[in-house]
Amino acid sequence: MADVEMETQMGLDSEEDYGELSDAELQEAFSKGLLKPGLNVPLEEPKKAVNNIEGLKMCLAEFKKNLPWVERLDLTNHPAVDVLAKIEGTLNKKQSSGEIDAEDDFQREMYFYRQAQATVLEALPKLKKLQIPTKRPDDYFAEMAKTDQHMQKVRKKLMQKQMAIEKSEKAKKLREQRKFGKKVQVEVLQKRQKAKKAMMTAVKKYQKGMTDKLDFLEGDQEGKKGSTASKSQMSKKGPNAKRKYKDQKFGFGGKKKGSKWNTKESFNDVSGFRAKTAHGKGGKKFNKGGKKNKRPGKETRRKMKARK
Amino acid sequence: VTIANDLLLFFDQENVSLLVLPDLSGKWKNKERVLVFSSRGINFRTRHLMQDLKTMMPHSKADTKMDRKDKLFVVNEVCEIKNCNKCIFFEAKKNMDLYMWVSNVPHGPSAKFLVQNVHTLAELKMTGNCLKGSRPLLSFDPKFDKEPHYALLKELFTQTFSTPQYHPKSQPFVDHVLTFTIADKRIWFRNYQIIEEDASLVEIGPRFVLNLIKIFQGSFGGPTLYENPHFQSPNMCRRLMRMEKAARQKERQMVKEIRLEKRKEVKEVLTEDVTDDVFVTPAEEKPKEVEHEAPRPSKSKKKKKLKLTELKKRTLLKRKGLR
Repeated sequence: MADVEMETQMGLDSEEDYGELSDAELQEAFSKGLLKPGLNVPLEEPKKAVNNIEGLKMCLAEFKKNLPWVERLDLTNHPAVDVLAKIEGTLNKKQSSGEIDAEDDFQREMYFYRQAQATVLEALPKLKKLQIPTKRPDDYFAEMAKTDQHMQKVRKKLMQKQMAIEKSEKAKKLREQRKFGKKVQVEVLQKRQKAKKAMMTAVKKYQKGMTDKLDFLEGDQEGKKGSTASKSQMSKKGPNAKRKYKDQKFGFGGKKKGSKWNTKESFNDVSGFRAKTAHGKGGKKFNKGGKKNKRPGKETRRKMKARK
Repeated sequence: VTIANDLLLFFDQENVSLLVLPDLSGKWKNKERVLVFSSRGINFRTRHLMQDLKTMMPHSKADTKMDRKDKLFVVNEVCEIKNCNKCIFFEAKKNMDLYMWVSNVPHGPSAKFLVQNVHTLAELKMTGNCLKGSRPLLSFDPKFDKEPHYALLKELFTQTFSTPQYHPKSQPFVDHVLTFTIADKRIWFRNYQIIEEDASLVEIGPRFVLNLIKIFQGSFGGPTLYENPHFQSPNMCRRLMRMEKAARQKERQMVKEIRLEKRKEVKEVLTEDVTDDVFVTPAEEKPKEVEHEAPRPSKSKKKKKLKLTELKKRTLLKRKGLR
């Protein structure tokens, strides 16, 4: 009786599921030992997907048509080796084993592309042997899968894309140039200011008598001449000599009035003697050596300034 | 210029007459005919896809839409009437899901697929082009040889998609290649044009992805030979998404309710400790001050203006435009 009681208690829970089995049958099963005490929950077997391998193979055998390759033109192959990836050293191990990441669009499409490439590379020599043409001759006009009109549209779209890219590139370059131009402008201004400062200090120095070289006057033309040898030559003769003479005559205020001249020292001083001039042989040097210190005109000076 | 035009015309005429002549140097032996049609309720994309397939396969025939009420095996009869031995049948359900049947009609196997990611020939991003009716090269992934169900599918695809040699509507050149690849447990279909002999390719289209559902032994019926365990019907997918959303909402609701409950619940009153206020000494009482005047306004720290010199003041005013 105790068994029956337990059974009915337990049976209440699983009654709905075991609708087909009556109490009596449950009791029997329990006594046999098939059912254990406790709440019995029916476990559903996971649905097994049908995979009738034998059936598949049989079907394939029946269905297969043994046609020569010419009729089928099919090939099974791995994709061609990815040359670029190899060069870059990014050859994925996964890829070489055949696993493609379906989420990575570019990789996936490249995989398909390479597979097609490998097929083409294998098939073309075969086709050549069988004398099936693969190249359409230029004069063979035939209906294409896509109409000419459609291809025009495609071409137009490509052109548009190209132009858009070019435009954006131009805009970028312009922006860069403007930035660069601004930089250059700032630099030029700074340079000019520096040159001016240097010139002023040099002039002041000269005025105060600290240096007697008039090099700062040649600062403008330095780039143009480009040779320091001629510069030193010019600095020797040129205004320096004139300046020297004037200094001698008028410098240090009125000292020449009561002084002696043609004294022993001045007579013995032969520094002012130029042999060639004395003997009349410095003919070419009469014209001051040509364009020595010819100051360029306003336009040229403006251009030089701008070029700096 | 007129002379050139005349020459061109002459040239064209000559070639136009040459062209449509197909390559009948051999006899057409491999009699494959594919019937491509659909059920009612397809959308424009599917219609275009069907058209594209018909363009690609010169050995195909078209038929009118089949009514949904007819059972599937009626398709077999339709094929027999049209004298076709292969069939590609598109079925659209709920205006959203597209199913494709590929079948060998009289007795052979058939397979049902779910079609996804359809792109047709008309897409401007696919720039390739090929002759209409030229024979394709077929390229298969080596994975097709590894499993028996894939091997069967490979044979089915080969027989369906390859154009027979010397077919009256075919062109003798081989200038495009169809690829079937297995990725992510689906079959990806692509169509490329062969430009150069060095295998440079451009995509022509169409392109789609096939998700295998079942393979049957008979045509549009019969015992199931293979069922794809990874396949989840689109309804199930949508249902799962909805359930996920619902679960999230439920959770949010529950959290809200718990919060309300917590607020409402009776808070515990701690037992008072008698010795708590032992050290509490009240402060001495201060004499109450009555203020008769209003208190000075405190200098706000925000506007702490330093004393401006005359010059600064002037410049400020000038800037403000008052001077």
